[in-house]
Amino acid sequence: MTITPEEISALYLSAKVSAWATLLSCPLAIAIGWVLARKQFFGKPVVDALFHLPLVLPPPVPGYLLLLSFGNQGVLGRWLNEWGFSFAFNWKGAALAAAVMSFPLMLGPVRLSFKLIGSQLEDAARTLGANPWSVFFTVTLPLALPGIMSGTLLAFSRSLGEFGATITFVGNIEGETRTLPLAIYTAKNLPDGDDAAFRLIIISLVLAFGALLANDWLARRIERRLGMR
Amino acid sequence: MLKLEIDIRLQRGSFPLNMSAHVQEPVSGVFGHSGSGKTTLLHCIAGLVKPDTGLMALNGTLLFDSSQKVMIPPHRRHIGLVFQDAQLFPHLSVLDNLLYGYRRLSPNQRRFELGPVVELLEIGPLLERRPSQLSGGEKQRVALGRALLYSPQLLLLDEPLAALDERLKKQILPFLRRVRDVGIPMLYISHSMDEILYLTNTVTLVDHGRIIGHGPYLDVLGQANSSELASGLDMRNVWEVTILENLREHGYSVAALGQERLILPPAPTTAVGGRTVISVRAAQIALSRQHIEGITIQNQLPGKILRIIHRRHGALVEIDVGVGVAVVAEVNGKTVEDLDLCKGDKLYCLIKAQSVEYPES
Repeated sequence: MTITPEEISALYLSAKVSAWATLLSCPLAIAIGWVLARKQFFGKPVVDALFHLPLVLPPPVPGYLLLLSFGNQGVLGRWLNEWGFSFAFNWKGAALAAAVMSFPLMLGPVRLSFKLIGSQLEDAARTLGANPWSVFFTVTLPLALPGIMSGTLLAFSRSLGEFGATITFVGNIEGETRTLPLAIYTAKNLPDGDDAAFRLIIISLVLAFGALLANDWLARRIERRLGMR
Repeated sequence: MLKLEIDIRLQRGSFPLNMSAHVQEPVSGVFGHSGSGKTTLLHCIAGLVKPDTGLMALNGTLLFDSSQKVMIPPHRRHIGLVFQDAQLFPHLSVLDNLLYGYRRLSPNQRRFELGPVVELLEIGPLLERRPSQLSGGEKQRVALGRALLYSPQLLLLDEPLAALDERLKKQILPFLRRVRDVGIPMLYISHSMDEILYLTNTVTLVDHGRIIGHGPYLDVLGQANSSELASGLDMRNVWEVTILENLREHGYSVAALGQERLILPPAPTTAVGGRTVISVRAAQIALSRQHIEGITIQNQLPGKILRIIHRRHGALVEIDVGVGVAVVAEVNGKTVEDLDLCKGDKLYCLIKAQSVEYPES
């Protein structure tokens, strides 16, 4: 069983797209998760529902909406083009699609962990001279780390599996947007593609398993650091 | 010295808070039932809760003034707060917990250094540990150290012993006295008057969102006479004595209270020459016009009545026995009439050795 350069490129692309997608959503999920956990404001349920839409919509819908807004003809797409940046039919678009689709999965655990940190620990820090930023970075954020970690893993895994929105938004271009799921789909549609599909499935399994084990190891390290074990 | 002015109003839950007080004594105990508003008062002083209207100032600096829209945030008030359940940072070691506030001070603001504080609270062996590896009493000592190292201009303690069992409480009490003696002004919240009297004689009574009395305990009992809260309170004498003799095999110790000698139950831990705190309920002290021979009560201190405070069920008689602190005896109203007790009368305070308690052990 030999792995072809195309398959290697799909694996590499999947890892790159998922990593960027997670990297993009992480700070955003921390900021929005904190606001949703701690602040009350008018229209909060609407905002909340908006971020969770990708979870319940059929994936081609967000994909199509992305195409309408970030495609070369889209309002945002045209604006970005003026700055020499484009999401259209390239790996950056695939990363954007994965980020949008996986965002609610990251937001959930992050928001929950902010909610669970008692405000008394933050009050203790405030009465020891810590300003709001210090309180956030020395108390809130470290204590939310397990939630952020599990959110990140969920989002990364969801990004690896992202199919519908990606193919709708940026198509299925070898070396540019053909991630593992798209490559499996393509191979399966070829008359002699069964072997290739099988190899890609093995690669996916190894990747997913590795990610889960790495997360478990990291989570245990963090929990030990936080004094939870 | 401390100068804390409070005059605040705040709508909280079912009843409004309306608190006014001028606190100048270095250590005050805030007493009230659960839900009376004492924790909210503390949180207002610390800046964690914003009153609706009013004014607060500490040592001449405005903390809050609704008319001028002044609200100093907690991290700039320099007021320490020790919580009921310690609230140590679980992700930091004991050492980093201790230094959390200390590191935020410029060197000239630091009144205490790590070494002496660690020694004072006997937490040296715990420094490398995580809060999850500490017992309840150890956590509370670390929390005290953490607040102390922040060199606050006022230290607020919100029932720091409430989460501990009786045995641990007694272990921590002496540390609170040590913290008191390093000279940081303290407001100590508790629903145990015994705990408060062990630390200070200045009491603030909080009832249904109001401060109904503030000052020396005996005065407060006299002023707030009509309130349900005050009339239910017990008077207790707390004295510091020097142990002169430990005759444990004979079942007693001898101690000096000023020039007077007292026969006490055997002192559990204090060696000869050491100082310890004893406490006697005012209701356990009897009064007599003359010295009585042939009675089992061995302690008979001669003195003169300073004042008589009438309460709902009886009276508190304050007697100067010439040792620097007064003795307070509680008698029923009939006794005051029958004996015709008056200010200036000379009499003996009879204190049964067995009625003396050692709050520290």
